[in-house]
Amino acid sequence: MELKFDKGENFKERLEFVHYYAEWVKRVPNEVWSKQQAELIDSFMVNAINFKMTPEKYLEMVNK
Amino acid sequence: MELKYEPGKIKIENKVFTALDEFVSDFMKLLEGYTDYVIVSGYVVILFGRARGTEDIDTIIRYMDKDTFTSFYQRLSREGYYFLNPEDVNGLYEMLEEGLRVRIAKEDTIIPNIELKFVKDDFDRYSIDNRLEVVIGEKHLFISPIELQIPYKLYLGSDKDIEDAVYLWDIFKGEIDVSLLGRFMKALNVRGKEYGIEV
Repeated sequence: MELKFDKGENFKERLEFVHYYAEWVKRVPNEVWSKQQAELIDSFMVNAINFKMTPEKYLEMVNK
Repeated sequence: MELKYEPGKIKIENKVFTALDEFVSDFMKLLEGYTDYVIVSGYVVILFGRARGTEDIDTIIRYMDKDTFTSFYQRLSREGYYFLNPEDVNGLYEMLEEGLRVRIAKEDTIIPNIELKFVKDDFDRYSIDNRLEVVIGEKHLFISPIELQIPYKLYLGSDKDIEDAVYLWDIFKGEIDVSLLGRFMKALNVRGKEYGIEV
């Protein structure tokens, strides 16, 4: 079985997107980029209640 | 993006306050009644627009004596927070004194959480001594200088951290002290040229 995924190329594309996105943020007013960001962040926050790990398991995970 | 710069301060006007901003702001408002703090790492990038989430908010605090910490611990409990670490107040304080990190979340949640640690090294000390005040409407937060954030992210070195460093550079490159950035990059032995970070 062959995995056709070039990690290096993928990272390069991700960095290109970071540049593209940063230029967009710089170009638009604060209320525009922050409104879109808020939709994403707020959805993460709503979904945080579904995080079913115990504190002990979470600490074990992050302290590895 | 419109940012207003004053010495030691950045103002972000007309920013939509996210639920994460609210969580961080509410906690820091409590914390600053007990000690100075500086937010480092992922949340700093998110504050300036990066479209990603974070599970935790890394925060460095100045030393608190045990009585002050106990008072802070009790206040947090009254305000609906709890420590994820399975220690009592004495154990938590010992952890901080030993240079370890403690995590605090709102009751019945695990994430997001605030990760607290005492100032430990010169970089921590520089961060908190030279922290930047970010003003968003009526609220304010203190973050690490961008000139240290970028090299630190490169030092951490994961793909996500490098993306964060590149993002901060793209947002702030006209405004930061590039010479200071270069000094920190040298001190942390990191290079950014391959990512377009030119010092």
